Amino acid sequence: MALAQVRALSFTYPDGVEPALDAVSLELEPGDVVALLGPSGSGKSTLLRALSGLVPHFHGGRFVGQVEVACRDTRLERPAELAGTVATLFQDPEDQVVLDRVEHEVAFGLENLGTPPAEILPRAHKALAAVGAQHLASRRIETLSAGELQRVCLASAFALQPQLLLLDEPTSQLDPEGAEAILDLALESGAAVVISEQRPSLPLERCERVLFVEQGRLLLDSPKAEALEWLFEHRPAYLPRQPTEAGGDPVGGEHLCGVHDVSFTYGERPVLDGASLELRRGEIVALTGPNGIGKTTLAKLVAGLLEPGSGRVERLGRAAYLSQDPGRYLVRERADEEVALAVGGDLARARRSLATVDLAGLEHRHPRDLSSGERERLALAAVLVTDPDVLVLDEPTRGIDPVRKGELARLLRADSHRRATLVVTHDLVFAGDVADRIVPLEAREPALA
Amino acid sequence: MSPGPAAALLAAVAVTALLADRTASVAVLAIVLLGVCMRAPRGRRWPYIAGALSTALMVFLVSPLVQHLGTHIIWTGPDLPVFGQLDVTAEELEVALFQAVRLAAVALAFSAYALLLDHDRLIQAAGFARRSVLAVGLATRLVPTLERDVRGLVEALRGRGVEVRGLWSRARLLSPLVANSLERGLNLAEAMEARGYGRPGRTRTPRPPWTRVDHVALAFAPALVLIGALWL
Repeated sequence: MALAQVRALSFTYPDGVEPALDAVSLELEPGDVVALLGPSGSGKSTLLRALSGLVPHFHGGRFVGQVEVACRDTRLERPAELAGTVATLFQDPEDQVVLDRVEHEVAFGLENLGTPPAEILPRAHKALAAVGAQHLASRRIETLSAGELQRVCLASAFALQPQLLLLDEPTSQLDPEGAEAILDLALESGAAVVISEQRPSLPLERCERVLFVEQGRLLLDSPKAEALEWLFEHRPAYLPRQPTEAGGDPVGGEHLCGVHDVSFTYGERPVLDGASLELRRGEIVALTGPNGIGKTTLAKLVAGLLEPGSGRVERLGRAAYLSQDPGRYLVRERADEEVALAVGGDLARARRSLATVDLAGLEHRHPRDLSSGERERLALAAVLVTDPDVLVLDEPTRGIDPVRKGELARLLRADSHRRATLVVTHDLVFAGDVADRIVPLEAREPALA
Repeated sequence: MSPGPAAALLAAVAVTALLADRTASVAVLAIVLLGVCMRAPRGRRWPYIAGALSTALMVFLVSPLVQHLGTHIIWTGPDLPVFGQLDVTAEELEVALFQAVRLAAVALAFSAYALLLDHDRLIQAAGFARRSVLAVGLATRLVPTLERDVRGLVEALRGRGVEVRGLWSRARLLSPLVANSLERGLNLAEAMEARGYGRPGRTRTPRPPWTRVDHVALAFAPALVLIGALWL
């Protein structure tokens, strides 16, 4: 008996013109481990939301077809009623946290399901132990790192003991080791797991079956071996591959930025201690390293957004910084005005910048009406338009599909002679593709590069 | 102290500040509450305290100009359309000081609630009113979230060479801040529903038993309101 059945499902969001899902049919068996791949905006998240009942109940829209989970029709049961059967881990952990302390947060779902009071805290602690986070039980949520927070969210899902676990790009903010740990832990739950990811090698190494969605249609539903052949033939960008080797020595010309033996402390918490870095015009440097090691802090020091506690930063020319969060580039009412903000309202220049990131034709759209992938590119255009001498990009591939990552790498490489570029990234494949030089930031050791 | 009695006590102090009619009495309450707020971590307390005190200061500065009260004129200003003759009297200053201190006391009571109470336990302790308490708890978290959002927006603007200076520039951030909050609220609501929120038959994590201090605080709260109404 299938755990979940999707029959000829078509779904259009209330404000959508094209269907987000178009005649999708599939079955999930208990214990299945499935990789869900596809471009940004292809319908992966919508499919996961349909399996949890959030589509159509939470979002509204036009729903045709049928979804059954554990023999329960999702049109007839609200997502809250499916919660013990299905659990979802969303992309941004900060947007799913309800309470202030870790053990209370994990207990929240158990309380909602009517778990006997005496069992709530023991089950919450057991779920935390299962994800290696029992030591965090009494911590305040705001003190957790991104990796710790995502573990807590996974524990919240585990605590419900679901039969179907849906992972919607849950590792996009995590370093490779943290991402692998989260996925491995999810697989240990014993539930059927559907993993949507933009770093395809992560789920492909672990799954038994692959789904590929594009423009709302399910193009592929095959066992892994067959799926790899299909991907090789039709969508090679999604094949897992090893990062290409980049050099370690500075290349390029004019010296544009030097970070010398800098230290930085947030309050009483030291983040950087004796870090050094050099950037030259014409080179792209990728800064890698685990979560919480200080990559973003170093990037902000390079861009002049922070001043070092000790040491010095030298910079020639203008610097620009692209934040991790594209939601910070939604200040104006139109896409072209948003981009023009940094160039004194020069709309012609803004439109050229939008065209370079393939957003031509969307100039008049409100930035909030853009899809998540389009928002990422809008943010990039808003920074590139300033034509900086030192360009700093902080996790520019977060939530971007492999094809777009390739395009971004080509765009950065094509313009690299004009500036020094620093890319902070967890995506080692992208780092290998784009960078002339990779600098791994390690725990408080001086003299990086 | 358990969060339920602590919330009751803070609410009683706020009500007392509203009922009391002597500036000195309300000022004492405000100073005590300020001392309580200072127990919060430095990084978290400043937006609340600065917000409470600056709003009170604004009331003190503006209200004498828009009131028409008393005869002991201290300063006479220009004659403005709509507002008429601007002047400040001793009586207006006295009333403005009282209103400002009263506002500061109420705002600091809320600040102490936001900064020092364990909202999780307050939500868990709430029985029939759990939805309302949860809504208040989430709204309370809005202040630090907004502060973090402002810093993020300003930093992103600086990252593209746009400096945010002056009141007008900052005011223009209000719209994206509100929109961000609405988006975040929708995401949170979706995640809560996916975790069974709103389903009938909810249970509660067992709460620690109340101590003697909790019982005393709960008994003292209505007494404080009575004292405020009758003697302060």
